[in-house]
Amino acid sequence: MEQRTNIQAYQQAAGALPPHLRQAALALSDADQARTEEFRLRVGRPMSVVLPEREQELGGPTVEVRDLDQLVEIASKASLHAVLDQVRRGYLTMAGGHRIGLCGTAVLRDGEIHSLRQLSSANVRIARQVRGAAQPVREALCPGGTLVSTLILAPPGLGKTTLLRDLIRMASDGEGCAPQRVSLADERGEVAALYSGCPQLDVGGRTDVVEGCPKAQGLMLLLRAMNPQVLAVDEITAPEDVAALRTAAGCGVKLLATAHGSERADLERRALYRPLLEEGLFQKLVLIRRTGNLRNYMVEELD
Amino acid sequence: MMRLLGATLVAAGCGWMGFRAAAALKSQVRALEDMADGLSLLAQEMELDEPPLPELMERLARRCRGPAKLLFRDCRQALDRLEEEDFSQAWRKLAAERQELGEEGRQALLPLGDILGRCGCEDQRRGADSIRRRLTELADRAEEDRRRQGKVYQALGLSGGAFLVILLL
Repeated sequence: MEQRTNIQAYQQAAGALPPHLRQAALALSDADQARTEEFRLRVGRPMSVVLPEREQELGGPTVEVRDLDQLVEIASKASLHAVLDQVRRGYLTMAGGHRIGLCGTAVLRDGEIHSLRQLSSANVRIARQVRGAAQPVREALCPGGTLVSTLILAPPGLGKTTLLRDLIRMASDGEGCAPQRVSLADERGEVAALYSGCPQLDVGGRTDVVEGCPKAQGLMLLLRAMNPQVLAVDEITAPEDVAALRTAAGCGVKLLATAHGSERADLERRALYRPLLEEGLFQKLVLIRRTGNLRNYMVEELD
Repeated sequence: MMRLLGATLVAAGCGWMGFRAAAALKSQVRALEDMADGLSLLAQEMELDEPPLPELMERLARRCRGPAKLLFRDCRQALDRLEEEDFSQAWRKLAAERQELGEEGRQALLPLGDILGRCGCEDQRRGADSIRRRLTELADRAEEDRRRQGKVYQALGLSGGAFLVILLL
């Protein structure tokens, strides 16, 4: 079942590729399609796929500049102007929540990236939702049947965003806990992956999403406008984010957030995170560890 | 009696041909004006909220008339087939099918396919506006032709019919 879902996601992402490259992508075996994490397109080289253990060239024709232009055209539905803000940040989200990263020659205006011209390479990251990722921590995070404020801490690549997304879905749909209105500040569109106003990844039926604006502003907007019971944000990276979370906690809103780090000591050490602990904004801390191919979750009390 | 009937039919036929030629000039003027109005609407919508192309084409197909309505409707459908044909090619092909705009009208439209959805909104608005001005010029010229030649065609049709009737009778 999971393999079939993964293959469907692969084939949907491959739909953005120009026809001859799509053909090469679809020639890959089902087993590898299910495991592929990314397509990589570099001008002058054959397309390759990123598997968990290595990057593998697919052979076939070499990628040309016009292939990258066509990739952007298909993914943006021929509407570059509508995704220009994303392109300036180096990526764009397509239907299904798959994310296309772009490289090329930057066009600067007033010292800021205005757009990219003459694209040189691109990657298509295949979005895969792991429903049930939050299952192992559900009971610990919902004492008394209601989700408590939770901070997820892990180094990059261990699945913080995946866990956050599933916790949001669970809290929103009331899966194993009381259903609550969740508001999500999704600055880079990685959690819900809005496309034409619709989340491409399941974040639950009671979730409101603001995307594309700085997290702190997004959090305040959601707090003012959407009357959330739970406020969620991916990656606390700036003092403004902490200030916005502080304000939200002061309004009685539960918080769900992620941060980079390996252990609780990282929170105590870094000035940015220290107020989170000192002011008791979060009740639970989830640490993610990898053992072989498996992820382990550890839940600690922060009170 | 038969001769009279035949002569009447010949006269009516020639007259109809003259009026039809004049009507064709009129409908070309209207088609060019409708297309220019469509591009004006396109620029306004772009300025309003910069919609993605599929949404823009849908709105325009709903609100425009004549060839503009058909062109935008067909373009909306073409946007669902981007995997097979890029938008620029599709636009060229669909614009070339709008016979009612005349050769120059069709030629004027072609470059818009290289602009729509491929650059910032301001550039797209400027491109649409420049083509709208060209279409308006063509519509003015076609209107002038219609005024001048429309009556000539009608008169030629009627007088040609009368001449044939005289010959036949």
